[in-house]
Amino acid sequence: MQSKIIQVAGLAFTIAYAAFIVWIYATEPRSFKEVTTSAEVAAGTYEINQEKFNSALNLFRREQFRAARNEWQQADPAQRDARTQFYIAYSFYREGWGRVYFDQELFRQGVEAVNRAIALSSGSPLTIDDPDLHMHTAAELKAELEQGLERSWSDVNPLKVLRTRK
Amino acid sequence: MSQTNRSRNRALVDFVLLPSLFLTVALLGGLRIGAESRTFIFIAPPLVTLLLAVLLMLLLLRGGLLSFHQWVGNDLPPLTNVAHIWMFITLFFASAQAFNSVLPERGLLHWLFSFFFLWTLWNNQFSSFDPRRLLRSLAVLFGTAFVFKHMLLASLYSPEGGWLKRVAGTLLQGAALGTLDAPSFAPATGYIAFFTLAFYVTGLILLGFAGHKNELPQKST
Repeated sequence: MQSKIIQVAGLAFTIAYAAFIVWIYATEPRSFKEVTTSAEVAAGTYEINQEKFNSALNLFRREQFRAARNEWQQADPAQRDARTQFYIAYSFYREGWGRVYFDQELFRQGVEAVNRAIALSSGSPLTIDDPDLHMHTAAELKAELEQGLERSWSDVNPLKVLRTRK
Repeated sequence: MSQTNRSRNRALVDFVLLPSLFLTVALLGGLRIGAESRTFIFIAPPLVTLLLAVLLMLLLLRGGLLSFHQWVGNDLPPLTNVAHIWMFITLFFASAQAFNSVLPERGLLHWLFSFFFLWTLWNNQFSSFDPRRLLRSLAVLFGTAFVFKHMLLASLYSPEGGWLKRVAGTLLQGAALGTLDAPSFAPATGYIAFFTLAFYVTGLILLGFAGHKNELPQKST
């Protein structure tokens, strides 16, 4: 009887262990910290670091976009929070925006971040109520970033220097 | 009482220890540590390692280290058969990952090592082995590959420039080592591979004992 218990327990334990190994190889964490973060995401207990998020928001409002992004990346290391990813995309937009030209590389990274935000909020459209922002939805931000990446004859229009950053 | 203890210990080895050991090999076999970033790099087993694992499983069967009829049969309870088949699956992936841990990750050396493994395993299919000799042969095969990859090649490609790099640089002045390109990893990778192989060989020894009660049998010649 005891052998039977060992058999069942052993089978259950080793199947769980095998599932853990498959999960590790699928998620490819780069450190023990990432292992715990991925485990939190899988368990549904993942939360962003609110303190770091607020500090990033302060930096963003002071137009220190790179520093803000660093803070947001630390606040959401698993890139699982739609709101944080939206702000990261917005920081790419504001940093890359220029009166004469847009920084294509920053805008490209902005599109990646806003796509992540949209994917994470697939249930309902993502809306951010922040009076400091001129665009409040991920769809608006994405359209603006994609427009910045497109090349057209309007790029040579001298009046475009009058446009304003959102 | 001793009979009860024996069956309990046997169950622990067969259903907990062996699969756990082989799964640990499967976990660590593809783990490398980046040379500069010191981060984990997980390398899934390449297709060739699965082929090598199939050949190795056949060799284990032919060499008598795995007696399939002792582990799976009509006279055993279904759950026991399932648990034993599960153990064979873990052994298969452990074998693939044991090869993965000693194969260079890319380049000409990856294919050279794969070819030598294939050649050795294919030749061994037609040799007469008993479990002891097979175990010794496998330990030497993996040990040699470990020394080549994690000591000689690691020294050759270390960013700091190991002793072998200096010797090779002197001997092969002017010749390009580009075709022998291999990624360099932190020294911890070698330690991980060492323990991976140690676990694997320990698992095979335990498998030999588990399948044959108390001692490794020898084929009568």
